[in-house]
Amino acid sequence: MKQASDFHVGDSFELVRDADRYRPIYYAAVSGDFNPIHIDRDVGRAAGFPDAILQGMCTMAWLADACTAYLGDPARVKRLRVRFSKPVVVGDVVTFRGRCVAVEGPVVRLEVEARNQRGEEVLKGATAEGWVEAG
Amino acid sequence: MPIDPRHVGRRYGPFRTTVCAEQIRAFAIAVAGGSPGYFGTAVGDPHPWSVDDEAAARSPHGALVAPPTFGVTFAMKPFALACSDPELGIDLVRLLHAEQEFELGKPVRPGDELTTEGEIVEIRSRGPLEFLAVRTETVNGDGERVLVGRWTAVVRR
Repeated sequence: MKQASDFHVGDSFELVRDADRYRPIYYAAVSGDFNPIHIDRDVGRAAGFPDAILQGMCTMAWLADACTAYLGDPARVKRLRVRFSKPVVVGDVVTFRGRCVAVEGPVVRLEVEARNQRGEEVLKGATAEGWVEAG
Repeated sequence: MPIDPRHVGRRYGPFRTTVCAEQIRAFAIAVAGGSPGYFGTAVGDPHPWSVDDEAAARSPHGALVAPPTFGVTFAMKPFALACSDPELGIDLVRLLHAEQEFELGKPVRPGDELTTEGEIVEIRSRGPLEFLAVRTETVNGDGERVLVGRWTAVVRR
């Protein structure tokens, strides 16, 4: 596993995730979030979207996965903060591009951009903080 | 009708839950692009320490650890209850998740007995939009904090 000295300002990482038709249903099953807007296309449309929309928490989970892969340990992620700026609709593909903006002792600060296949930001101001042991 | 700001301070919980390994594994698989449960074998690319018992046993944690946002499974309840609370009268079709913050403490592991409490901490309007924020706090059986969440919904008029 990467040590504290392996993290540097300017490091970058990327993760791509697919909001396939079943994703909001699978995510509902494992998270408990069965809000009909996420699992019923008609309700998504009634709310003004072209289809069902993915749970924001699933998009945030993808962000966390991107940060986890970079940090090397799920338990190193200590803070996550996002604004859901545009719903992820069934059929969207989201690309997360993160970079390390600060390393302060054991604290690694990350900023992440998340865009759909049209280049639109689905998260704004997404930041994460990792704690990596000294060494 | 706007949400009455006098509901700030309204509390939900405490709610208790026991975490199991299968729940952690299914969550990690579903998020990573796989299919949890029956009738599917795809696992996507979850971190091995959240799905593979042997890899997790060799890790510094010695057992599975939950992915960072697994807290949705136990800490979202106060937020969901606030959003659908008849006293607040929110139309769910007009509601979207607007912002989210997680501050993570002790890692969540199988067997953890967790207690979550939540409170409405903010109700405000901005133009045609209304915002509702709920703060949750979750502790494990040893009284150690595992998660503080701030969950913000927006209601479109």
